[in-house]
Amino acid sequence: MGIVETKDLTYEYIRRDEEGNVEGITRAVDGVTMSIEEGDFIAVLGSNGSGKSTFAKHLNAILYPTEGSVFVDGKDTSDPANTWDIRQRAGMIFQNPDNQIIGNVVEEDVGFGPENMGVPTDEIWVRVEEALKTLNMYEFRKHSPNKLSGGQKQRVAIAGVVAMHPKCIIMDEPTAMLDPLGRKEVIRAARALNDVEGVTIILITHYMEEVIYADKVFVMDKGKIAMQGSPREIFSRPEELKKLRLTVPQATLLAYELKRRGLDLPEGILSGDELVREICLRTGKDMEQEKYKKALSEFAN
Amino acid sequence: MSFIINHLSHIYGEKTTLEVKALDDVSMKIADGEFIGLIGHTGSGKSTFVQHLNGLMKATSGQILYNGEDIYDKSYDRVKLRYHVGLVFQYPEHQLFEESVFKDVCFGPKNMGLSEKEAELKAYEALKKVKLPDEYFYVSPFDLSGGQKRRVAIAGVLAMQPDVLILDEPTAGLDPTGRDEILELIKELHEGGKTIILVSHSMDDVANYVERLLVMNRGKLVMDSSPGEVFRRFRELQGMGLAAPEVTYIMHKLNVFELPVNIRATTIDEAADSIMSLFKGGATGAR
Amino acid sequence: MIRDITIGQYYQTKSALHSLDPRTKLIGVLVYLVSLFLFNSISVYIIATIFLVSVIILSRVPLSYILKGMKSMVFILLLTVIFNIFLTPGVPVFTFWKFRVTKEGLIIAGYTAIRLLYLIVGSSLLTFTTTPNNLTDGLESLMKPLRAFRVPVHEVAMMMSIALRFIPILLDETDKIMKAQQARGADFEHGNILRRAKSLVPILVPLFVSAFRRANDLAMAMEARCYRGGDGRSKMKPLKYKAQDITAFITLAVYFAAVIAAGRISPI
Repeated sequence: MGIVETKDLTYEYIRRDEEGNVEGITRAVDGVTMSIEEGDFIAVLGSNGSGKSTFAKHLNAILYPTEGSVFVDGKDTSDPANTWDIRQRAGMIFQNPDNQIIGNVVEEDVGFGPENMGVPTDEIWVRVEEALKTLNMYEFRKHSPNKLSGGQKQRVAIAGVVAMHPKCIIMDEPTAMLDPLGRKEVIRAARALNDVEGVTIILITHYMEEVIYADKVFVMDKGKIAMQGSPREIFSRPEELKKLRLTVPQATLLAYELKRRGLDLPEGILSGDELVREICLRTGKDMEQEKYKKALSEFAN
Repeated sequence: MSFIINHLSHIYGEKTTLEVKALDDVSMKIADGEFIGLIGHTGSGKSTFVQHLNGLMKATSGQILYNGEDIYDKSYDRVKLRYHVGLVFQYPEHQLFEESVFKDVCFGPKNMGLSEKEAELKAYEALKKVKLPDEYFYVSPFDLSGGQKRRVAIAGVLAMQPDVLILDEPTAGLDPTGRDEILELIKELHEGGKTIILVSHSMDDVANYVERLLVMNRGKLVMDSSPGEVFRRFRELQGMGLAAPEVTYIMHKLNVFELPVNIRATTIDEAADSIMSLFKGGATGAR
Repeated sequence: MIRDITIGQYYQTKSALHSLDPRTKLIGVLVYLVSLFLFNSISVYIIATIFLVSVIILSRVPLSYILKGMKSMVFILLLTVIFNIFLTPGVPVFTFWKFRVTKEGLIIAGYTAIRLLYLIVGSSLLTFTTTPNNLTDGLESLMKPLRAFRVPVHEVAMMMSIALRFIPILLDETDKIMKAQQARGADFEHGNILRRAKSLVPILVPLFVSAFRRANDLAMAMEARCYRGGDGRSKMKPLKYKAQDITAFITLAVYFAAVIAAGRISPI
């Protein structure tokens, strides 16, 4: 059994008009069945209003399914006795960095989760230090969150979750409000947590570039899973993605355009480097030459 | 000629230990009908700069001429300047407040002192321009989707019929199609004769749409050129916490392998044209 | 600008005062305030001044920083002084038009000004040297006995701490919304009171909407991090009296005794 298992997960809410009369029922999540293995990096794509955020809130027992079931680490989320276990094991990061930091000092915010769990004082300090070091925020431990950049605030929020020692972290559009630098920081942190600590990451986003390293991608539309597969499989179907109000990474888009114009390239190129390699192969350039390697290494940023 | 900006500086906390130069000796000219992009790392001064253009902030020193008139002249009506130079803030939907979409869009024209009739006419035109379907005109703005709210908020500024439209991160938080829709809308407004200044974090957006690109860093205007020329200097941009579009990197890397590609290409089409020219004559992998 | 207010803002440095337990400081402020109002005697004020000056020195908060915080209070201070000067009956010193300035008025005005000033400086020293969280922890701990009377002490303390965190954010937001509405031609500076009050609607509605959205987000984020009220919670920074707190309490007791003695011996 995987770390997260959903079966026919459906969530409906009742729309009411100003007088409180029922206007209708909206099905925000519609029969989602998903199995996520421990240690995976999972991405969930979807347009605004596709139900991906509503789905994410089920994995942390903030919302409960109207129909179907959600199991996190083998525990049923709809059983109230499991709520706190689930919230500790599946941490959650939200979109707005300001609205999820509770503490007035960075270290106090990171300690908030362990405090709620009743962790003894000495151990809280150990966990806070560890978490801040993992997120490279240790030097800011005495700072006020208000003085940090968006990317730094988001890393504090992640540290706050890491200090609770979760098995899985759900990130609900953590980069939507950040600038490119902040976005890079957060994604790098998420990947490191996955690589080094083995934490399962479920990243919800609509930035295509953030998805290319995922083990598996789910695309949601109107509450349903519309596509699923490896990033390569997903991004080799740009027309379908477009219909779902999404797109593909720039390198993929360029490769797709070149293919359309008659250049023979493989399906689903994900990165610029991949595309460069394929083009070089087709021009007969020897990529192994030292002078090329040296010049290329200067691009690393 | 829309704007002539001479040695504009804005200093916070002048002559204290906490002195910060938010704008540092910025000079430029902006002609009527230009489509300009403005990029810079958070805190580079780009938001401060655009708030000077419509008179919301006053410079510590320097001069701004709008259509030949000094906006810091005692006799100049800076409130009127805001009608000519429309500024759409980041997440503009957070400023909606009226009970209906239509009323909210009327707010600007009414502040200009127009009659109810005239204001409604302008609001109607503006909502048409942002392509909001009629059935949403009388619903509460809070009931709209994110993308629709954004359109209504832009219409709220358009209704004042400004000649210059400045948009601060108009695509933030929208999904890819939502981003394209807003950018297409801005392009149409430009084609309709408006001068556009687009402040953006997205290098792809500015590469695809603008004709001229300004780069700000630490309050200074450090680059002012075509997107192709600016992004060619991607190493400098990286030093300022910025980057070039992925396409630029691909072209430069191909160039490392001594392939004669256009390193000024910034859009998918330009890049594809240039790469395909490598394979002219059929001596390629193309079947 | 609203953001320039330094009163009540924590000043980060290391000092004897900073490292005291917040409860010690809270009690200290309370004792100091009481001592100011017990007597109207010059000798007491001299002792209070010496005490305050030594505490300021101990706090290592620069005087300029303290005075900057006072700026916003000057108006209130002046108002009380003026009221006291003109409205106290007694032996007239001089009169002009309908106003009479009395000797008693001058004395009371002087005392009141000093009291108010000391009161503000004294209590802002508490916030300068204590982080907001520490302060709420201290208050929570001191008010714990009230829980017997079903006062939700933990919840009140948590509310205070959250309010402190969001005040600067909401001030920023107000600034942003004001500018955005000004960009749409809104005018907050002209017109009569009624018009100005009406012109606040475009600021207040978005501000409330945003505050509610933030509250909603924050509640969700807190729940997601296992927050379930005060029961079963451990403390990252539990309050513990240390040796220096005992020193502080003794000093405080000596100070208070000195005040009472001085007040008794020379009542004027």
